[in-house]
Amino acid sequence: MRSPRRTRFGFTIAVVLAALAAACGGDSKNDGASVTVYTGRHYGIEGVFDEFTAATGIEVRFTTGSDPELRERLLAEGDNTPADLVMTADAANIELAAAAGLLASVDSEALTAAIPSELRSADNTWFALSRRLRVIMYSTERVTEPPTTYAALGDAEWSGRLCLRPSTHPYTQSLVASLILHLGEDEALRVVESWVANDPLYINSDTDILKAIAAGDCDVALANTYYLPRLLAEDPSFPVAISWPEQDSTGAHLNVSAAGITTSSPNREAAIRLLEWLATTGQSTFSDANFEYPADPNVAPASALTAFGGFVADLAAVRELGRLNPRAVEVLSAAGYE
Amino acid sequence: MTVTLPSIATRRSLPGWATFVALTALVASPVIVVVSSIVDPTESMWSELWATRLPGMIRDTITLALTVVGGSLVLGTGLAWLVTAYDFPARRVITWLLVTPLAVPGYVAGFVWLDTLSGPLGARGVRSIWLCAAALVVTLYPYVFLFARASFKAQGADARDAARTLGVGPTRAFFRVALPMARPALAAGSALVLMEVLTDIGTVRLFNVSTVADGVMRVWFGTGDRGAAAELACLLVVSAATLIALERGLRRGARFSTRPSERPSSPIVLRRGTRFGIVGLCVAVIAVAVAVPIVRLTDWALDARRSGNAQTVAGGVWHHTSSSLTLVIATCVVCVGGGITIALLARRRGSLGRLLSRLASLGYAMPGPVVAVGALITLAAFDRIGLVPNGVVLVGSFAGLVFALSTRFMAVAFQGIDAGLDRVAPSAVASARTLGARASRVAWSVELPAARTSVVAATALLTVDLMKELPITLLLRPFGFDSLSVWVWQATSESLWEQAAVPSLVMVAVGMLAVGALLAALDRGAEVAS
Repeated sequence: MRSPRRTRFGFTIAVVLAALAAACGGDSKNDGASVTVYTGRHYGIEGVFDEFTAATGIEVRFTTGSDPELRERLLAEGDNTPADLVMTADAANIELAAAAGLLASVDSEALTAAIPSELRSADNTWFALSRRLRVIMYSTERVTEPPTTYAALGDAEWSGRLCLRPSTHPYTQSLVASLILHLGEDEALRVVESWVANDPLYINSDTDILKAIAAGDCDVALANTYYLPRLLAEDPSFPVAISWPEQDSTGAHLNVSAAGITTSSPNREAAIRLLEWLATTGQSTFSDANFEYPADPNVAPASALTAFGGFVADLAAVRELGRLNPRAVEVLSAAGYE
Repeated sequence: MTVTLPSIATRRSLPGWATFVALTALVASPVIVVVSSIVDPTESMWSELWATRLPGMIRDTITLALTVVGGSLVLGTGLAWLVTAYDFPARRVITWLLVTPLAVPGYVAGFVWLDTLSGPLGARGVRSIWLCAAALVVTLYPYVFLFARASFKAQGADARDAARTLGVGPTRAFFRVALPMARPALAAGSALVLMEVLTDIGTVRLFNVSTVADGVMRVWFGTGDRGAAAELACLLVVSAATLIALERGLRRGARFSTRPSERPSSPIVLRRGTRFGIVGLCVAVIAVAVAVPIVRLTDWALDARRSGNAQTVAGGVWHHTSSSLTLVIATCVVCVGGGITIALLARRRGSLGRLLSRLASLGYAMPGPVVAVGALITLAAFDRIGLVPNGVVLVGSFAGLVFALSTRFMAVAFQGIDAGLDRVAPSAVASARTLGARASRVAWSVELPAARTSVVAATALLTVDLMKELPITLLLRPFGFDSLSVWVWQATSESLWEQAAVPSLVMVAVGMLAVGALLAALDRGAEVAS
């Protein structure tokens, strides 16, 4: 005879299995007009997609992750990928995805008209959607003459006063890639070594880097511009300011948010519509959601950015950042950059 | 009397073997995919890494592993001794609370303390390997605590009373009798702590500690070379396996009777002052490991509510909680089912069976992201050969995610269930077989009921582990499937502590319930590892 306890055990298993089957059953493919996006950029992206859906009726499904993780996922999925559009927060990563054959060329007049040639790949496999500048930030309370070149951060004056983001981060790698392009590998290594010699404090978040300046943990740092307006919105007297670097030479290091259509995109037409919308009608929404500068030079940046003034940006390096990325990683390692 | 049943065994062995080999191969496949990369080493990576970061990584990994394992041993063993040997107010509640740090992910304790201490210590002072070790110790010591407590309880009064009658004081009885007898249990607990430290990537990065596991991520994402990253990950697996084998080798020859004592030990009643001293110590540990994180998280959650900044990645708290729970339930079912099957099949297949079952446990010694890549490659291969018909794609599916998680956590279920099955008397199995019962019937009616509490304990431990799991879920989750840990990761990667607070609290709450279930099962005689 069966004991009641054992019957209950069997019943529990049956219930759990049924629940499981129900959970797996909900896994069916979506039909109707929809676009699937893999995005390494996730600040306020939901509102942007909602606006697109409201305007076009095309649903947007998206998943987030770091740029390299998403690239690995695409590589593994191959032809079976559900992804239509890949969006990255860094120029090197979109170029690496293109080099791996994951992105298809797009022939669109709307895109080539809106995005300057320096900000899209030569074969139109990817297009920048916004400009992100990595600049020198300094304490307005303790620094009167901030550095004006990336190399100057290695001056002995900034010893123990410098905050940097670790070399694991794409922003650091891309900045060093641009130094390699302009200065050559030996000189770039020397610059990075001089930063390391200043015993920098490594913080893996630009927001925390700016807060560290405000708290007095460091006086100068490298950070992307859009983090500052976010903090200024919370506290208008936040004691950190931008020093635009390399204004007499190559221009401030320019990186981009970029996107491309996957080679195996199941919804190519709808995906191209989304990409075109982001580059045209949606330019302001996309850029302003994160206080970035629009990729299209004819679209005005968010009003919060006017206080930062005009600047020269390093347009020439953007398309080279992917190619130089492995060398940048080597230089950072060789210099002992954490 | 020994009963051999050659005819029954051989007649039915073929399907059994086929199931066994197929199951272990399936579970081990992601690890095999990764380890096979070592056949063709990337020499340029090794020479470059050796000249630059590798020595520092090895130094940091060893320092961290020694400190965390040492700290967990002292804290876990000491506290376990206090709660078993002495009587003091609220002993049961305090015992449960002392295990609850297991429910707090290291990366959550890490960011809470990083923020709390960056005021007094400064942004530079707070990023140190010692604070990282401390954050890991206070979240990992419960592994040692659980094993040590079970061992101290099982020892009962006999051995210690014998020592006392020989004129040894209570303190010396601890060092001379209880501690040596608990050594296998302490080793098992330390092994779990060691695995967690070696494979941690969330906590170390918060504190700027460059371990080998962090190096795996660096190589993989810095150069895009998945093979080179896998080779580096093998260094971790090999060192973990070596350390565990070394401890087993040293212990060989020293055998301790594990037969439970007839008489449970009665706790020593202490003087008032000492009693409050012990309670104070326990409360201090609980405060650092659980109370302060919960208070700060609640504070952030309220801040976020006030500022209207409590937005989530997609959907609300319920969406994330139900995602997490669905995932935990599904993975528990697969792991426990798989663990039972492997454990039952392995014990009928001698040393080869044991070897294969060990192979299926290897995933636990791999950093999560590496298992994720291995699983990704395996799933993509299944998709290419069309393993599942009708164009169903495994990569990015719920089933694919459960598969990947199971290959990493199968070991947790298997170890506990295997230990539970160890206690089934071989004679009971033999009697059932002579009475004509088939192997499956014996398993269902004799072996499994005996291991029931161990199944509950394994499920509880799995729940705790799976709630915290991040890298595999992050990389393989299907669309719109954002677990609590994913939400926490997205928020903390932007230093948005307020937004990470609510999901962290839910994670901790579910984990604390699971810890309660685990403790109850252990008190009813469950085992968590052999």
